Amino acid sequence: MTAKKIVASTFVYLIAFIALACFIFPFILLMINSFKSNGEIITNPFSLPSHWDFAHFSDVIAKMNFLVTFKNSLLITLISTLLIVFFSAMAAYHMVRKPTKYNKIFFTILVASMVIPFQSLMIPLIYIYGAKLQLIDLIPIPLLICFYIGFGSALSIFMFHGFMKSIPIEVEEAARIDGCNTLQTFFLIVFPMLKPITVTIAILNVLWIWNDYLLPSLVLNNETVYTMPVQMKVFNGTYMNNWELLIPAILLTVLPILIMYMIGQKSIINGVMQGSIK
Amino acid sequence: MVNFKALLKKSTLVGAAAALTMSLAACSGKTSGNAASSDSPVNIIVTNGKGEIDAQFKQAAKDFMKANPNIHVDVKSSAVGDTLNMYDKLTASGKTVTIAMFDPYSAVHKYKDVGMDLSNEKWNAETTYALKDANGKVIGFPFAVEGMGLVYNQKVVEKATGGKFDPFSVNTQDKLKALLDKIKASGVQYPVSYQTEFWSVGNHYSSLFLDQDSDPNVILDKLKAGKMDLTKNAVWNGYYDTLNLLTSKTYNKYGDRPLGQYYDAAHVAVGKGDSAILFNGDWAFDSLKAVAGDNFGFMPVPVDNNPDNPLNNKIAVGPTQVLVINKKATKAQQDAAKKFLNWLVYNQAGQDFIVNKAQIISAFKNNPNKVTNPLGVAISNAIAQNKTMPFSTNYINPSDWSTIIGPEVQKYIGKQESRKDLAKFLESYYKSHQE
Amino acid sequence: MLAKKVDEVSYHTEISQKVIRRKRNLTSLGNSMLFLGPSTIFFAITVVIPFIYGIYLTLNKMDSPIDAMVFSGMLNYVNAFKDAEFWSSLWLTIKFVVATVFFVNLVGFGLAYLVTSGMKIQNSLRTAYFTPNLIGGLVLGYIWQFVFVQSLPALGEKLGISWLKLGWLGDPHMAFWALVIVTIWQTSGYMMIIFIAGLISIPKDLIEAAKIDGAGAFRRLINITLPLMVPSFVVTIFLSLKNAFMVYDLNFSLTKGGPFNSTLMVSMHVVNKAFVEANYGTGQAEAIILFLIVAIVTGIQVYFSKKMEVEA
Repeated sequence: MTAKKIVASTFVYLIAFIALACFIFPFILLMINSFKSNGEIITNPFSLPSHWDFAHFSDVIAKMNFLVTFKNSLLITLISTLLIVFFSAMAAYHMVRKPTKYNKIFFTILVASMVIPFQSLMIPLIYIYGAKLQLIDLIPIPLLICFYIGFGSALSIFMFHGFMKSIPIEVEEAARIDGCNTLQTFFLIVFPMLKPITVTIAILNVLWIWNDYLLPSLVLNNETVYTMPVQMKVFNGTYMNNWELLIPAILLTVLPILIMYMIGQKSIINGVMQGSIK
Repeated sequence: MVNFKALLKKSTLVGAAAALTMSLAACSGKTSGNAASSDSPVNIIVTNGKGEIDAQFKQAAKDFMKANPNIHVDVKSSAVGDTLNMYDKLTASGKTVTIAMFDPYSAVHKYKDVGMDLSNEKWNAETTYALKDANGKVIGFPFAVEGMGLVYNQKVVEKATGGKFDPFSVNTQDKLKALLDKIKASGVQYPVSYQTEFWSVGNHYSSLFLDQDSDPNVILDKLKAGKMDLTKNAVWNGYYDTLNLLTSKTYNKYGDRPLGQYYDAAHVAVGKGDSAILFNGDWAFDSLKAVAGDNFGFMPVPVDNNPDNPLNNKIAVGPTQVLVINKKATKAQQDAAKKFLNWLVYNQAGQDFIVNKAQIISAFKNNPNKVTNPLGVAISNAIAQNKTMPFSTNYINPSDWSTIIGPEVQKYIGKQESRKDLAKFLESYYKSHQE
Repeated sequence: MLAKKVDEVSYHTEISQKVIRRKRNLTSLGNSMLFLGPSTIFFAITVVIPFIYGIYLTLNKMDSPIDAMVFSGMLNYVNAFKDAEFWSSLWLTIKFVVATVFFVNLVGFGLAYLVTSGMKIQNSLRTAYFTPNLIGGLVLGYIWQFVFVQSLPALGEKLGISWLKLGWLGDPHMAFWALVIVTIWQTSGYMMIIFIAGLISIPKDLIEAAKIDGAGAFRRLINITLPLMVPSFVVTIFLSLKNAFMVYDLNFSLTKGGPFNSTLMVSMHVVNKAFVEANYGTGQAEAIILFLIVAIVTGIQVYFSKKMEVEA
């Protein structure tokens, strides 16, 4: 029995580590290459750097106007994600509990909207909000946040919709008898029970918004409002990219997300523990 | 469950209120407006299509503004791989680009209604590369002169030939073959690293045959009229004979599978001296210098065995980016733009920016500076010795050639189609694309 | 906040049925506005209105996106239907969809199962498996170009495996599979996150009960876990379908559609049509056709799999 168990768990660990090697190697490559010169990077990206050169990092921080850019990215990502999560959870709750005809149609439209090729919206977006309403010049960051909420709602509602059904309706009925109105029932009873999926949705949204290039590149026209991915384009060349700066820049962009995910992990686990007490 | 209700009410209110305020703030908050006040300084937007000189260009704009405090220059650089180019994006979002950087073909075709007449500008006297539209009016300020040909690693080639190498001595196909054999004999297994990007095999290499007439448009007009039988055209065939040689298994590093994403790898190989020759333009130095400080130069691409054929003795050189002043800009903006162009030509700081800072070969004779990168030097020398022919790529539609014709040339290189098929394809393309 | 307790009051008070109904209607309207309002507004201003405007653009002849509009009726759609390359790239994309949807979900679920099985290092593993998502576009293409163009051939040379010796991206079939492999690698970690949320929501007592009943690990997976994972699969299959149909970044950075357009997927074709070759109207029309096709495919998928969802 124990021998069998040991063999089984060794096997599991073996698979886990092989997968680990496959999935993490680009990240390791990024790390070692962030210390190398262009020449070293393109001749042999797999070797360790001949000397550990931190100069590229400081160069990147200066050239990217790092503090401002980082702050913009952070602000846009956090506010957008927060609002997406709240609004989507509310909408999904309403749709699941009140499956009226209108709600079903709206849900269908939302799901369908996710497959609209973004390229077909680029010109309409900048024409309407730039040329006609002048909002791109006036309020680039709030406008971008509005766009993120608009584009992000669909997937988030879709995901909440699926998981909402696993919330037992009896708990809500009890709350109602205690005198809670719908809003109270939602925020105090239902929303906390959605924690695992909420954290997941938040992570997926942060990931997307933080790394997104196309949408901000349309809306942000001024260096003072650039986000990290938009600012990074200063390291792209027509024929050859400036890898020695591009790679450290990517690393600096990616690290906050990794840290956030590790923190989010704990939340998920706490969420599960709370759920199991019920 | 006792305090539950009280807690309920409080936190609901707070939560809802927070959400509401935030949503309001998101959509009505005003950030520091960057819209220009219309009275005092003149604002001009300049688009820069050469992303790699973004920093230098912005510095130049600053220097210019210092000297001209009543003009504000806003440089917007394109990023490589952007779906929507900077000019279209800004124009669609309601802005007026005062100075736009275009490739010459787009400037006189796709954007023919943009450029104002610059025929009377003083700088026309200093250059032969000014871009004219169909009516002979100057509309394009030549911003960058570039050239293309066979790039070689001087050290490797001279080791093989023994002694000083004159790139213009290789002026027939046979001499090229002899050189390749010599390099091979000197211990370099594959003298050529042929990379096959669409724009390189299509736009660049496959347009060279247009230079068989001193005016490339003559050949193009024949093609459009359907009066050109490419299979019988010696020059067109000659270039593909040379291409066969360059991509053959004997000489090409990637001969076994000539297609693939070899751009970086090819430049590393030639830069390090593992290989000796590739086909590209002077921008190749960006990639080459990453691996070596060796010296590099250009050879013409030989098309036949007649040493007196001008095509065998010249390198394709021309303006690859031009600046155009927008007709739709205000008079004040246009005047400011003209001032900026003059500054690039006549002011010391402007001249310094173009050549020393951005390492661009100036199209203007009065610019005393010389680029330092060896491929740029080779182009400058060819210009000085009058060994140049028109940059044939400027006469074809660059986007069609990279998405429609480039893949066909790749098929030819990959032996997926015959030369006859390629000829037919090109002929039918020009019959259906008359502009 | 518009509706205060009206619902509940009605349980206890004796008012005529009519009034109750009216109040109820008002309450539910208020609730609808409150719960659906924000999402609806943002969705309308960013997606619905621009999309409708985008459809209007397809009825005009426009070479570049900044051209003046000239009404041309259905001409762009006629051109799109006549564009052979559009349909061949769509067919290639469908093959790509089939290949990736299956593997992405398989690998994603496998990873999620692995990192929720109670291993000590599972938290670190979760983070690690998820890193490929963080590296997008250019660099991803570059790293994998190096793998396919230089590293694998070097490996093939050393081990004497002939089919590995040549660069992958120069052969139409191998370049296609290169795209599939990188897609699996890049998106299965993302799907893993969604599966994890589903897996940890499965009540532990159910699993324990099955264990006591003597069900082996495999039976537990088939009979308990998988049926309860349907909501997750609805999402992941939808997402992988959509991602595969819309693939652009990877296509652009890894193969650029080459060799000779043999790996040109439909999104890249549409972008080329609309923004590179001066054919904005036709490209936009092709984008709308693409939208309709993908909407129908994913609509069928969501409709049928939503039916399978276990109602709690």
